[in-house]
Amino acid sequence: MNEPQAVQPGQVVLSGRGLAKSFRSGRIDTPILRGLSLEVLAGELTLVSGPSGCGKSTLLALLSGLSRPDGGQVEALGQSLWSLDEQSLERFRLQHTGFVFQGFNLFAALDAVEQVMLPLGALGLSRTAARERAMTALDEVGLAPRAKLRPAEMSGGEKQRVAIARALAKNPQLLFADEPTSALDAANGQMVIDLLHRLARTHRAAVLCVSHDPRVVGHADRVLHMEDGRLLDDTRSGATKGPP
Amino acid sequence: MIVALARKTLLNEWRRFLPAVVAVAFSALLLLVQTALVLGIFGSAAIYIEASKGDLWVGYPGTRTVELGRLLPADTEIWVRLDEAVDRVEPYRWIYGDWRVRSDQGAFSMYVSGIDTSADGLMFTRVLPASLRARLEQPDSIVVDVADMDKLGVVLGDRPRINGHAVEVVGTLTGLRTLGGVNILTSLETAGRIQPGGLADERVAYYVVRLRDGANAVDAQRRLNAQGREHGFQVWSRDEFAKVVTRYWLFDTGAGLAVLFLSVVVSLTGAVITSQTLMGAVAGSAPEYAALQALGIGMGALRRVVIEQAAWIGASGLLLGVAGAAAALWMASRNDVPIAVEALPSLACALLVLGISMTSGWAAVRALRQADPASLLR
Repeated sequence: MNEPQAVQPGQVVLSGRGLAKSFRSGRIDTPILRGLSLEVLAGELTLVSGPSGCGKSTLLALLSGLSRPDGGQVEALGQSLWSLDEQSLERFRLQHTGFVFQGFNLFAALDAVEQVMLPLGALGLSRTAARERAMTALDEVGLAPRAKLRPAEMSGGEKQRVAIARALAKNPQLLFADEPTSALDAANGQMVIDLLHRLARTHRAAVLCVSHDPRVVGHADRVLHMEDGRLLDDTRSGATKGPP
Repeated sequence: MIVALARKTLLNEWRRFLPAVVAVAFSALLLLVQTALVLGIFGSAAIYIEASKGDLWVGYPGTRTVELGRLLPADTEIWVRLDEAVDRVEPYRWIYGDWRVRSDQGAFSMYVSGIDTSADGLMFTRVLPASLRARLEQPDSIVVDVADMDKLGVVLGDRPRINGHAVEVVGTLTGLRTLGGVNILTSLETAGRIQPGGLADERVAYYVVRLRDGANAVDAQRRLNAQGREHGFQVWSRDEFAKVVTRYWLFDTGAGLAVLFLSVVVSLTGAVITSQTLMGAVAGSAPEYAALQALGIGMGALRRVVIEQAAWIGASGLLLGVAGAAAALWMASRNDVPIAVEALPSLACALLVLGISMTSGWAAVRALRQADPASLLR
């Protein structure tokens, strides 16, 4: 397994080619993605938008190594993701990817800093190093003073920021976010999307965000519009249109 | 894991895990108490042997338990005495009695042990103080277990009848209770008068043998058994006979099987409740586990969390169970319930209880399958 090289902003770090996926329910195959291709660049917040059921979350699952495509290929940081075995794929996710989900998925028993520390142990960090890095990540999302609070004592926005810190603390080159704002009110949604945007810049990470939230569109560097399993539109915030 | 996820979740969501801890505690309590009771009750069947001194027991060939003894040929004592290793041969009369306190009340069967009342007598030395033994020399005197006095309907000094023969209760002791029924102690002579054949019948059911110092018990037993095959008796070592008797009650009466069956039911119940509780807890945290998996934490690490929770549940349940069992057994011993707490069987119970919770943990690991990270993307 060749190690991915250092990433430059603007570099293609994630690409999918001819991605196809369908879901079988009984005897009926429902195609979700129909031969979709795209490239995601480092240092940008790329937004995939579209009506619900258009396949954007499925696309995220395929690109992030959580769900195997029926057809097509995913190349992430120079590696063909779906040619890796289960263990290497897990290792790849551990070392290079972060996730932020719609539900915050935090453990009720742990305080914020412990939530963030949890994945760091798997990376081989000592307890002290993990705590330090977790505090840095919490500081970055503005929650250092709330590090000792448990989910029950936090607002939705704070919980989502803890989840972002948890994804961020691993220093991933790829950060995936699935509807990160849909459970939040306007102010908190705004804060979260700002945060994701800023992280793409400061960490040179490729942030791929899936959302049907119109508030998010204005903050993305690039918006991919999806419908019926296909990309219809690819817009940059600089108003330059790329190829679909 | 660098964060004690298993332990913190257990403490934080203790209400969720409580049923499992209680189930394990009850399993531990039931298994421990049951084992102590079984050992106590069935061990009490060998009280005649274990409360007495002596190296060898002589009885009717094939005797399975003391209660099933039969009269030995009258010349048995002579054949036993003839062996060079034998120091003392003490007859032990074991007979059924018909107990009646008042003529207008019914009678019930009990066991009469007729023993040598001399100061160096071998029988029941461990439960019968020397002074009480001496008092049995007075004709028609008997000693009863304190715990049986209500059942027998007598107090000290009463004169009930056994097989129509008037006797006097001259003393009480503890530790005579057995599974088979009520035992009373008396002298060989009184027992002889009580038995249906009267003193004229000199045959007894058992002889207890003390060997000379330094004698080889195994050789002596072999020689005596050779004699016994010709003259109609069998010889056991003390420990051997105690084992024969306990085994009879445990395995040949079906009682042991019932106990074993109960143990299986208790263990299964504990395991099912524990695994269901754990599975519920895992399923309740499925999205969190799935998120960890998405972040690259392997299934192995998550599995270890569940197993660790099972271990904590097992340990705390066991602790609770042991405390409960100690209280229950203390109550039992105060109320003359025969119990015997032995190290190895208790340890086996503890291991079984931990085994139950660990097995439940392994079973609950299956619930992690619901923690599919792809399911978080909808």
